[in-house]
Amino acid sequence: MAGVAVAAEWQLLYNRYYRKPELYQMQWKNVDLTRNKIACAPFGGPIAVIRDDAKIVQLYAESALRKLRIFTSSGRLISETVWKNPGGRLIGMSWTDDLTLICITQDGTVYSYNIHAELVSTFSLGKECFDNSVVECVFWGNGVVCINEAFEIFAVPDFKVPKTVKLADCNLEELPHCIAVIEPQYTKSGDVEVLVGVGDHVLLVEEDLVQPLAEEMGPFQKMVVSRKGEFVASFTHDGRLLVLSTDFSEVIIEYACESALPPEQLAWCGLDSVLLYWDDMLLMVGPFGDPVRYIYDEPIILIPECDGVRILSNTSMEFLHRVPDSTVSIFQIGSTLPAALLYDALEHFDRRSAKADENLRLIRSSLPEAVEACIDAAGYEFDISQQRTLLRAASYGQTFSSHFQRDSIQEMCKTLRVLNAVRHVEIGIPLSIQQYKLLTPSVLINRLINAHKHLLALRISEYLGMNQEVVLMHWTCTKISASAAIPDSSLLEILLDKLKLCKGISYAAVAAHADKSGRRKLAAMLVEHEPRSSKQIPLLLSIGEEDTALMKATESGDTDLIYLVLFHIWRKRAPLEFFSTIQARTLARDLFVTYARSYKHEFLKDFFLSTGQLQDVAFLLWKESWELAKNPMASKGSPLHGPRIKLIEKAHNLFTETKEHMFESKAAEEHAKLLRIQHELEVTTKQAIFVDSSISDTIRTCIVLGNHRAANKVKTEFKVSEKRWYWLKVFALATIRDWDALEKFSKEKRPPIGYRPFVEACVDAGEKDQALKYIPKLADPRERAEAYAKIGMAKEAADAASQAKDGELLGRLKLTFAQNAAAASIFDTLRDRLSFQGVS
Amino acid sequence: MSQIPNLENAPINLTAIRARAQAELEIILKNVRGDKCLVIDPKLSGSLSLLVQSSELKKHGAELRHLTAEPIQTDRTKVVYLVRAQVDLIKFICSHIHNDTSKGLHREYYLYFVPRRAVACEKILEEEKVHELLNIGEFPLYMIPLDEDVLSFELDLAQKEYLVDGDATSLWHIAKAIHNLEFSFGVIPNVRAKGKAATRVADILNRMQAEEPVNTSDMGIPEINTLVLLDREVDMVTPMCSQLTYEGLLDEFLGVNNGAVELDASIMGVQQEGKKIKVPLNSSDKLFKEIRDLNFEVVVQVLRQKATTMKQDYTEISTTSQSVSELKDFVKKLNSLPEMTRHINLAQHLSTFTSKPSFLGKLDMEQTLVEAQSYDICFDYIEEMIHKQEPLVNVLRLLILFSVTNSGLPKKNFDYLRRELLHSYGFEHIATLNNLEKAGLFRKQDSRSNWLTIKRALQLVVEDTDTTNPNDISYVFSGYAPLSIRLVQQAIRSGWRPIEEILRLLPGPHSEIKRVQICVMQFSVLIKYCILHYSRLADGRRSLVLVVFIGGVTFAEISALRFLCSQEGMAYDLIVGTTKIVNGQTLIETFVEKLG
Repeated sequence: MAGVAVAAEWQLLYNRYYRKPELYQMQWKNVDLTRNKIACAPFGGPIAVIRDDAKIVQLYAESALRKLRIFTSSGRLISETVWKNPGGRLIGMSWTDDLTLICITQDGTVYSYNIHAELVSTFSLGKECFDNSVVECVFWGNGVVCINEAFEIFAVPDFKVPKTVKLADCNLEELPHCIAVIEPQYTKSGDVEVLVGVGDHVLLVEEDLVQPLAEEMGPFQKMVVSRKGEFVASFTHDGRLLVLSTDFSEVIIEYACESALPPEQLAWCGLDSVLLYWDDMLLMVGPFGDPVRYIYDEPIILIPECDGVRILSNTSMEFLHRVPDSTVSIFQIGSTLPAALLYDALEHFDRRSAKADENLRLIRSSLPEAVEACIDAAGYEFDISQQRTLLRAASYGQTFSSHFQRDSIQEMCKTLRVLNAVRHVEIGIPLSIQQYKLLTPSVLINRLINAHKHLLALRISEYLGMNQEVVLMHWTCTKISASAAIPDSSLLEILLDKLKLCKGISYAAVAAHADKSGRRKLAAMLVEHEPRSSKQIPLLLSIGEEDTALMKATESGDTDLIYLVLFHIWRKRAPLEFFSTIQARTLARDLFVTYARSYKHEFLKDFFLSTGQLQDVAFLLWKESWELAKNPMASKGSPLHGPRIKLIEKAHNLFTETKEHMFESKAAEEHAKLLRIQHELEVTTKQAIFVDSSISDTIRTCIVLGNHRAANKVKTEFKVSEKRWYWLKVFALATIRDWDALEKFSKEKRPPIGYRPFVEACVDAGEKDQALKYIPKLADPRERAEAYAKIGMAKEAADAASQAKDGELLGRLKLTFAQNAAAASIFDTLRDRLSFQGVS
Repeated sequence: MSQIPNLENAPINLTAIRARAQAELEIILKNVRGDKCLVIDPKLSGSLSLLVQSSELKKHGAELRHLTAEPIQTDRTKVVYLVRAQVDLIKFICSHIHNDTSKGLHREYYLYFVPRRAVACEKILEEEKVHELLNIGEFPLYMIPLDEDVLSFELDLAQKEYLVDGDATSLWHIAKAIHNLEFSFGVIPNVRAKGKAATRVADILNRMQAEEPVNTSDMGIPEINTLVLLDREVDMVTPMCSQLTYEGLLDEFLGVNNGAVELDASIMGVQQEGKKIKVPLNSSDKLFKEIRDLNFEVVVQVLRQKATTMKQDYTEISTTSQSVSELKDFVKKLNSLPEMTRHINLAQHLSTFTSKPSFLGKLDMEQTLVEAQSYDICFDYIEEMIHKQEPLVNVLRLLILFSVTNSGLPKKNFDYLRRELLHSYGFEHIATLNNLEKAGLFRKQDSRSNWLTIKRALQLVVEDTDTTNPNDISYVFSGYAPLSIRLVQQAIRSGWRPIEEILRLLPGPHSEIKRVQICVMQFSVLIKYCILHYSRLADGRRSLVLVVFIGGVTFAEISALRFLCSQEGMAYDLIVGTTKIVNGQTLIETFVEKLG
């Protein structure tokens, strides 16, 4: 049976099997792990290699200058650079979660490299680290903790924010035996916690707290915290491996090793076991049973992953992990579980043996779980043919099983195709299925594009139905940066050809990158293709295409964008040039005027003057004249009338100059004149009641004050028509109830508009008797009828109406009378009807 | 009853739209932790009363203030401004902050723009050096449901800003609001627009669909079938006429603001001297829903009849012995008593206005103006109004009607009336006149008037209108059928084509666009479309038309639209979108600008 061969490579640790398939034969040449400092990123990430300057090594045919080289997990060189950084020895080197390589030198300088070995940024850990060299660094996902010669401990909680935090002082007198870190995301406080092994105990150090733990349990020579910070594995001075809860209150494993010499490396293998590495021996210790020993005749490096440990040696990369249950159920020697039988059945089937049917019959009822197990086991395989066989077994079983989720085989195939693609030696990302799920496809794609594997990233995202925008965008930007030699127009074509693959991609963002790369012309061509004006216009401005921006903004109809362009041009250009730019664009001009009207008054005047809109300047001046009046100084007396009138006269002149605004010009002239007269009136009457009332009001006020001469003067000055004059005077006299004067006025001469004003004034004032003086004088019998009706004299009204021989009027009058009475009564009756209500 | 209308019966899910706005507001209030002073600009605060009760706002530890020029008095250290993006309001905020700084007060300021941040406003914040002190955010409120069939964009100045200042901000806002609707209800396939602003909105809407497409394949069948966009400029006659429907008259005389009237408590039969009360008016009030769109004459009759039956029931109850179920019915009817009382009180109050001879005279004159056949009578009437110095807005209302129906006035008359206006009301009104002229509302005649042709072709004046059992929309103005609604009628029935000749006589261009080509649809979607379409017809739901008025709509026009919907043979439900509910007075007031 084939299964035997598979299981033969497993090791049993108590009741669990472990295996360590080889992932790659390392592609590199002449890399000796002992000579170098090595940093390996988890999740099958890259490996950084640099000659260790803490060791004395023999140089072969190589430069004395050190080189920082970055390899894939399969040992392909990605990039290299010569290490010329000052700052003393390189103390720590590690990859962050987003695959930035952090290098920390003795003087506390932090160098960040990208995967292409390009220096991205540097910062310093601070003066204390500069003065007292950094001695040791412990990294985690995105941060580091380091200790200096003065035994002070510092932390950088997040490399994205280059800020150093000094942790609480723990008064150390010597370098601690060991340091371990609990990541901020797994601590209660949310800040990093550092475990420092000193003397015979451990100190828990936080930003403002030091707490002794595990007293008399040590001294601890080495410590390492499990991935989620639940447990700590430690090696004591007397050669015991202790696995403890992170508060050191509970001992989970205690194992006495043969050697009291601390191991070179101590690592967690998933959560199930701990690995200890001495010179040529790797020891795997689990909670129960005897440990497993592996012998290595070359140096290795342990790379902890979430589900196991990768073992890197000079020549190979292996993955040590626990054999998953589904795989065990199929391949365990002598297994008769349904999954094993199904797998067996396929072999018989392939050999055209009838035993296949027999097997199937045995497991009919548990077929679905057998299929599930085969699919699951396929996922854990690195060997493609093994994956295929397992999937075929699953598919074979599925044909006999009616209630099976058919998608899951498909899903698994999809996942495996992606995994196999990235595991390929050329790409060198040996992700296990669990790592892949934890990492998520989108992060994987980001890693691929960062490594400039755009085509693969694009294919994968397309295959998984993900948005391709991220990939295309990154490709485009990289392409632009890398194509300095290609002329704009041909590069544009290349880019557009790819960009059209993805709808809704931001051309503006691409253009912005082109502009940043110093290709302004290309940027202009690209931004042309951006459909979203809100993205397009700011960019057009930043590349200096103001006029196009203004045009596009106007087209978009979004006034906010127009303002954006407007202010930009306003700031950039000289006023006159600015004026002529906007004068040509109606909407922009109108918006400018609206804004300036409420905020930049004087500037607006300049604008109107420059464009020859004198009438608008005149309006502005005229408006100012009222603002002067609002000034509290104005109410105190006359001095401000002078300036006001001057402003209005200026406005008058401007109106006259335009020749098309004669009406306004005349009005301004009259206004100035009126103000003068009103001012005089205020002086003579000593009452501040005239200024800023209208001509009609001024006349009324004069009459009410009994100053008929002044009223007449205003009338003649402004050529007030007789019609208006009569209305004004009649109403004014009625206001002061000077009925005698009113009567006298009515007799002055025959009123030009008849006696209706007199009647109305009296009726409005409720003076029926006075009204009766004038009603008979009304010429039109209809008016007479209506007037009688108004004061409630129905009979007289009817008489007059009949005199007019107007039947319709008569009817209407009748109706009015009836209706008024009726209308009033309707609602009264309505109320009565509802009178039973208690509610209101 | 609440001022926040019940939207359950709306033809599209307006509740969701409102709920989203409410949730966004809540997030803003929660974002600013702890006690705060919430300063809202007064107009926005009116609009918000249709969204949340002020008690809700206070729940979030907010102390409410209106934004004015005066510095705010509060001891809270956090101040949250919620304002529309208007330059004058921003200047108030700057002065508040300067005032605090000068007193050495250190506060946290938050500024939320409605509906979005504006470059022009932020420019002022920068120039006033307060930009750094503010945390700026947005409250994307583009529209508010006023009732189950009315949406308002709350842009009261839209028409004045567009016609007088040339500021097209509101057009973008309207298009954005409609586009937002499309994200919820699908791309509206038919768009018909008349007027300069309307066709521009249709353009911008198309651009938005191109820039930020609503995914048509996901949405399935668009819930709104047709969009009719109409400029107020096209029909300035209708809003100048006095509305004669119940709701219209309430607005004309008492002013309906944000779905409520405010009046003296004594009018509503509450004996509290000098106290004002707010009466909500929306279709949650069953009786109001029944009578709001009727001609006021008819409302009086309906109320009378209802009161009579109730009285009868009461007598029966008290005289004869009734079964328990009959008693129950009666009690149920009693529940409608508060509504009855409310509307009887309101109607009575209204009738004190409508029975005045001056009101009847005004109606007469409006009729004469609309008929446009007695120029001199109209001229003399208006001249006399000016001489008598009647309230300016009243004069302008007739004057605009006069000018619009005559395509302006001959230069001599125009200058004469302008001069008389300035003499009577003061030279500061030169700005108002200037605005009206720019907007084309009161201007010099430059061509012969087409009004008579339009009136005849669209049958705007209908003789013998029966207000009790109307068979035409003309009942809302007792004989005048609103031009705007006649156009909507055409647009829905047959599109613009048959009346293109007439449309050319009205201001502004027109356009008609089909937006989703059926052929682009996948076959399966098409099938689904057909099935859904038929099933929808079968279950009694009808196609939906959104009618948007740019520059405002009157209650009478909405009533006329509701009347159209209720007619037999009408295959559409209508929903109205407007920049604001207006009447002649409120509309003119936006144009009035005193220089002083």
